[in-house]
Amino acid sequence: MRELGPMNEGSDKDDLSYLMRLAQDGDRDAYARLLRQITPLLRGAIRRARPFLQPHDVDDLLQMILMAIHAVRATYDPGRPFLPWLMAIARNQIAEGGRRYARRAGREEPLPETFSEAGANIEADVNNGSYGDPEALKHAIATLPPAQQQAIDMLKMKEMTLKEAAAASGMSIAALKTATHRAMRALRKALLSEA
Amino acid sequence: MDTDELIRAIAADAAPIRRLPHPMTRAVIWLALSATYVAAVVAVYRVLGSPVILSGDGRFLVEQLATVATALTAAIAAFCCIVPGRSRLIALAPLLPLAVWLASMGEACAATLRLFFSGGIAADGAWDCVPPSALIGLGPAILILLMLRRGAPLYPRSTVALGALAAAALGNLGLRLFHAGDVTVVMLIWQLAAVAGLTALGGLMGPRLLAWQRLRLRVEGRG
Repeated sequence: MRELGPMNEGSDKDDLSYLMRLAQDGDRDAYARLLRQITPLLRGAIRRARPFLQPHDVDDLLQMILMAIHAVRATYDPGRPFLPWLMAIARNQIAEGGRRYARRAGREEPLPETFSEAGANIEADVNNGSYGDPEALKHAIATLPPAQQQAIDMLKMKEMTLKEAAAASGMSIAALKTATHRAMRALRKALLSEA
Repeated sequence: MDTDELIRAIAADAAPIRRLPHPMTRAVIWLALSATYVAAVVAVYRVLGSPVILSGDGRFLVEQLATVATALTAAIAAFCCIVPGRSRLIALAPLLPLAVWLASMGEACAATLRLFFSGGIAADGAWDCVPPSALIGLGPAILILLMLRRGAPLYPRSTVALGALAAAALGNLGLRLFHAGDVTVVMLIWQLAAVAGLTALGGLMGPRLLAWQRLRLRVEGRG
């Protein structure tokens, strides 16, 4: 029995199994069509298996699966259903992604927080995790007093530790914390009023 | 690179490829090539003057048939494991011939152990049969590994373990052809511990020998 993809029932030339057979024979258009058709299926499978992933992580995993499919496309037998073949690769790659993440996490040590006092730490952007307009941020930083600019540059841009920043600038750790805290408050105010 | 871009790059790389034959066909091809290799090694040893045992004894024949059946079913199972969407239950297929093989050796093994523990036999002798039997197992092992690397490394541990079992079974066939026929401690160790050891080693080495990383690098290298 031929297996049809959910989006292309009734259309023989869009049958996933048929497209894969054409792809194996070197038909690039059929291959591109197949990969585009399976992308939503794979995205859905990833989201079901790993609902906590961010959109860019889902995309990374999706791309891993697409490359895996490409690498082992010779193993597909057109006489057999396509979806079990596809989903076996997808499941394997999702598990592989998890293992790779665990290996990476095991090798990495968590970075020390810039500040030991919670109040001195900068909160992540509350809207979407980005700084929005980089030009506006640059402009807002330029309006800060020199000591605050220096503190932001060393601790936030160059990601130096407090000790390194204190050694480089000659400022005390307490002064750096205060300068950064004030700078962040000023920046947040400036950027929010602009928005 | 966004996903659309990747799809375009992958599709542009879609040269015609040769589909992998059915796992059973591949296993038969492997066994045929391996048997040819085994026959060649046997022929060389005969030329060199080593005795080759081809006994018509019933237990010997059952044991050898079970050994070949173990090699064949393990190879089929290994080739199935690298095809996405196929059931992994096939990995249990070698258990039956393996059980027959072990049972056929059972009597000899029990007798050997009794003799060994009563001090009736020494743990020496017959080591000279190890190099030819290792040589016999080496060719099929390399061949099956190369063939397995053409598939999807979904379950590298069990796949390589099954491949190692298949090659080790043929290695044992070689041992029985080169060995003088009497049961010694060396033979017991070689036939049981070596098969178990090689299978376990295959399982341990699996992720290194079959890895997605290698396939991905191949794809990226082409792209």
